[in-house]
Amino acid sequence: MASARGFLDLATASEAALIVAAQARDQRAFSELVKRRQGWARALLRRMCSNAAEADDLSQEAFVKAWERLRDLETPAAFPGWFRRIAVTTFLMAKRRQKAVFEVIDDASPIADETSTPEAAAGAKIDLERALSRLSDAERMCVTLNHGEGLSHSEIVEITGLPLGTVKSHVLRGTEKLRRMLEAA
Amino acid sequence: MNDFNAVLTRAFAEAPEPADDGFSVKVERAVAKREQSVLWLLTAQGFGLAAAAAAIVYGLMGVFEIYGMELLAGLGLEVARAHGAMTEVSAINFTSLAAGLTQVLFVAAGLAGGAVVYRASQQ
Repeated sequence: MASARGFLDLATASEAALIVAAQARDQRAFSELVKRRQGWARALLRRMCSNAAEADDLSQEAFVKAWERLRDLETPAAFPGWFRRIAVTTFLMAKRRQKAVFEVIDDASPIADETSTPEAAAGAKIDLERALSRLSDAERMCVTLNHGEGLSHSEIVEITGLPLGTVKSHVLRGTEKLRRMLEAA
Repeated sequence: MNDFNAVLTRAFAEAPEPADDGFSVKVERAVAKREQSVLWLLTAQGFGLAAAAAAIVYGLMGVFEIYGMELLAGLGLEVARAHGAMTEVSAINFTSLAAGLTQVLFVAAGLAGGAVVYRASQQ
């Protein structure tokens, strides 16, 4: 994998070896890491953004931030969670720049019936991406982190800084809306 | 609801984003650009520090031109005084009066030098 002079065979190197090399400021190793992780990172941000171009811009921003902070990563095994946090923070900062409101929900008011909307009534096939795009930014983010990334409510609280009750509400309401939309499709 | 959650989790897992070489190249370029700008920043900081150090040295040289000789004289006299103090014990055994006077002169010169330095510093 690594020669006596310390050069990595990028194609066969493990992700941990790539991360260690990138921490030593090896740009080639980091590029290989980006190649391997870009699909996951872009998918995560596309689901949270519901806008492919914006998601790719944010993914690029997240990878550049990761490059800058890579020395803070203590163990290579922690890279996915560490990068996910950077991606979510990048997304939240972008939304704050856009003045998006991540509302705090205190009530348990009934969810509006999505099947009553003209779009739902049209009976068009609604896939996951399209259904996600109908959720609010906060619901989409919480549902993606919960169902897509397998994070618990408390882990989402830790990453996003939202109150636990708000996260639970967003996940519950978002999931319920998705269920209605997908079942109606 | 739990069944739907499982379906939803599977749906998320089944929709990976295809790899895009263009994206990797864009990130690669952004990182290279970032590194370049960091390099420029470090170079500029280096030049700035060198200029600041040169300015400090230049200022100290100006001060040294005014007080340098006095300081050196004071330092020399202090050394001499210390030397005198250290050899004072052995001076008792001196049989030559000249050698004894030399010690006395060294101590006197040291005291005078110290007084000059003290006065210069007070001014």
